[in-house]
Amino acid sequence: MLATLVTAVINGLRGELVRVEIDVAPGLPVCHIVGLPDAALSEARERVRSAIRNSGFDYPTSRITVNLAPADRRKRGAAYDLAIAVGILVASGQIRQGGGAWALLGELSLSGAVEMVPGVLPMVATLSRSGYTRIGVPAGNIAEAGLVAGVHAVGVAGLDDAARLVAGPRGRTASRAERRPQVEVSGPRAGRQPARDAGAGALTAPVAPVDLAEIRGQGHARWALEVALAGGHNLLLVGPPGAGKTLLARSIPGLLSPLTDEEAMDVTVIESVAGVLRDGGLRRDRPFRAPHHTSSYAALVGGGPNLSPGEATLAHHGVLFLDELAEFDRPALDALRQPLEEGFLTIARATGRVRYPARFQLVAAMNPCRCGYFNDPDQPCRCAAGDAERYVRRVSGPFLDRIDIRIEMARVPALELLGGPPPEDSAVVRARIAAARARSLARNDGHPNAALTGSAVVRLCALAPAVNSRLAELAASRKLSARGVHRLLRVARSIADLAGHAEAAEADVLAAAALREPIGSVGDLRAA
Amino acid sequence: MGGGEERRAWITLASADGAAEETLAVLIGQFGSAQEVLRRAADGRLAVWSKSTLNASGRHPLTRPVLAAIEAAARDPDALLWAIAHLGLWSLTPLDHAYPAGLRDLDPPPPVIHGLGDPEALVQRRAVAVVGTRRPTPAGRLLTTRICARLVECGAAVISGLAIGIDGTAHAATVERGGRTVGVIGAGHSRPGPRAHAALRDRIAGARGAVVSEHHPGVRASRGTYPRRNRVIAALGDAVIVVEAPLRSGALITARHALELGRPVFVAPGRVDDWSVAGSLALLRDSPAQPMVGLDELIADLGYFDSTDDDASAGSQIDGARRPALAMLGPAERQVAERLCAGPAGLDLLVADTGLPPSVVSGAVTLLLLRGWAQPMGPAYLPSGPLAE
Repeated sequence: MLATLVTAVINGLRGELVRVEIDVAPGLPVCHIVGLPDAALSEARERVRSAIRNSGFDYPTSRITVNLAPADRRKRGAAYDLAIAVGILVASGQIRQGGGAWALLGELSLSGAVEMVPGVLPMVATLSRSGYTRIGVPAGNIAEAGLVAGVHAVGVAGLDDAARLVAGPRGRTASRAERRPQVEVSGPRAGRQPARDAGAGALTAPVAPVDLAEIRGQGHARWALEVALAGGHNLLLVGPPGAGKTLLARSIPGLLSPLTDEEAMDVTVIESVAGVLRDGGLRRDRPFRAPHHTSSYAALVGGGPNLSPGEATLAHHGVLFLDELAEFDRPALDALRQPLEEGFLTIARATGRVRYPARFQLVAAMNPCRCGYFNDPDQPCRCAAGDAERYVRRVSGPFLDRIDIRIEMARVPALELLGGPPPEDSAVVRARIAAARARSLARNDGHPNAALTGSAVVRLCALAPAVNSRLAELAASRKLSARGVHRLLRVARSIADLAGHAEAAEADVLAAAALREPIGSVGDLRAA
Repeated sequence: MGGGEERRAWITLASADGAAEETLAVLIGQFGSAQEVLRRAADGRLAVWSKSTLNASGRHPLTRPVLAAIEAAARDPDALLWAIAHLGLWSLTPLDHAYPAGLRDLDPPPPVIHGLGDPEALVQRRAVAVVGTRRPTPAGRLLTTRICARLVECGAAVISGLAIGIDGTAHAATVERGGRTVGVIGAGHSRPGPRAHAALRDRIAGARGAVVSEHHPGVRASRGTYPRRNRVIAALGDAVIVVEAPLRSGALITARHALELGRPVFVAPGRVDDWSVAGSLALLRDSPAQPMVGLDELIADLGYFDSTDDDASAGSQIDGARRPALAMLGPAERQVAERLCAGPAGLDLLVADTGLPPSVVSGAVTLLLLRGWAQPMGPAYLPSGPLAE
């Protein structure tokens, strides 16, 4: 007897419809899964058999053939388990499909419990677009499934719940389940899911943001950060250990505005696919990702054997913070040039080709040399001559070129750490940034200043004639390229937005010029 | 046999790999002329002589590799000379009148000096070596710049080693103010010093200065070449000024050479316990080197005072140069400039010390940079132009 159910697969960040066809026919008791399954999927037959038995059903002693259509697409993961198991129940006549067309998503444990799977949100969205609005999802994923409008999603905790859905109120045929109490399966099931949830939470829990009130000194660096966040400019902080680069960066989450509805949906979809969605609801706070400098290429840009999004994509609509920039793998850094320029990443592998959105704001920090004390007034640099230059050169020029604001930080004198008036706190600065950002978004058709290029810069960052001559002087003395002039204009625009100026004034242009210093260069070269 | 032939033979012999000037002095003393040495090397008599002779320390005068190098040079002198001509270098030997007199104080003097730029730079009436660490502090760079500016005013050439750090700052500051400067490199001209200084080298040569080496162009820098280079720096100057020298700095070797040659050595002192001047202070304690207590005192000690006119009140002169400059600035710029005159400072420190908003400080610094009244040095800014005088 033949049964057909509908489920979905993740490709990139989109869900794709998959039909599961199950044929149970007389013959030797074997189970074949066809349709390009991967290892996790091939193991489904073991999980499905145990889950069916432990849920009080009978595993048919017949020849079972499972086909996943379309057959030419490679299938990954364990989200098909539930559909296969229910399909076997239908095909072996243990239940009837009396409840209408249900799509099913979920992984089975041997006990018959339904486990959470990544990517439920985009899969549900795809199913809904294809007309399957009644969907059974793992109970732990119900919150994200509910984010899709017009869907009737039901959380299923176990295989028997799913069977009941598909069978409808009177569709269930008599099975041994009627006779056998289900206590054994419901007990462990209740305990399992929170445990998994808690584990994921510990790994992805955000570090509590540092409040700016805790950062003393660094007046210039604080202001540079404010300008960067107001205009969405990429920011590089260079300085010795202990200058406060990381501390400053850790204050960023507390300065970001919440996501808009549209952005929130994008971010939630990405987190759903990556399996890091914390409580399942809509993600409202802007992402702040801080991968360690030992992160692999795949972890940073995405990919890997199972093609999952990387940190660059997880930082979409948010901030990607790369501490110790020069210590990162060079190929991985250079791979970030595409998203820095275009806002997405294309990953091509033998198993497929996907495109991940990655429109993030980059904040990076690095030491001026390997030991960190190059040009430090109080501490000798222990690097050999020329090493400092080599160290800075580990970050490629084209990469540095994408960074609008680059500043050097020095260590704060101890005296300043103790005395002085308390600095502004994050709430005050956040309000200022939000106001500036709103001004720029309104003027630029919803783009931050950093995203302006070519003619848009010239049009939206126009200067008064007197200011233009000052800009020309700056461009000549610093030998700025056209790109360099545009960069200066964009940053000046953000400074003006912060100050509430309708047009960038001379002071804004001059101030902008101080926000891009040649980094780590050898001093006497600059004098030369 | 004209002097030209002997000169060529001299350069050829000096270019042989490993043949130090002491060796050359022995050979030329033994055989009378460089040409004779080469002739004997070519027909094998030199080898016979070396193997049959023992010097005072009981060794043969020529080691096997040096002998082989001299014989190779004798067989094909044109290859060595062509390499020199190919780079457009001029060469000076002690046979030449233009050979710097200071170098003749060395015993023995370098048999040949290859140079780029203007050979006149080597024979200036006044020349002072300014040396220091490869890892200077911003304050050290500022002091170097000020010293060189004063030396240029006095018409003195500045000699240094074209290394990163104080050396590079000294050369750059001198060129910037239109002075002549001589960079002595510790390797051949095909393998000159730090790559980072390629542009500086050209600027020195283009500004009536010179870059010189006692090595054949193909010689790589090795353990011994830098200390040897330092004795040339010491010999070319009337005096040596040590700006910042941590312990074991190469600048200390230059200072010792200068003291052995009877040249005065001036050391810029610093704070006790400061790593960046630990070597300088040790030098002051252990040698007849003199402390440099001020720019005017330095010029007076060097005996260079005649060309600076109004030298009576040095302190007020410095302030006098700054005051009208400061008066030309707007209030914010002036506040920042005054702070910079008190010592190098980064932007964060400027914000903290002036109490001005960061955007105003940034704008003011940009303006000072544009005017050339400040210059960046790592994370800090230094006064420059009229503010640094």
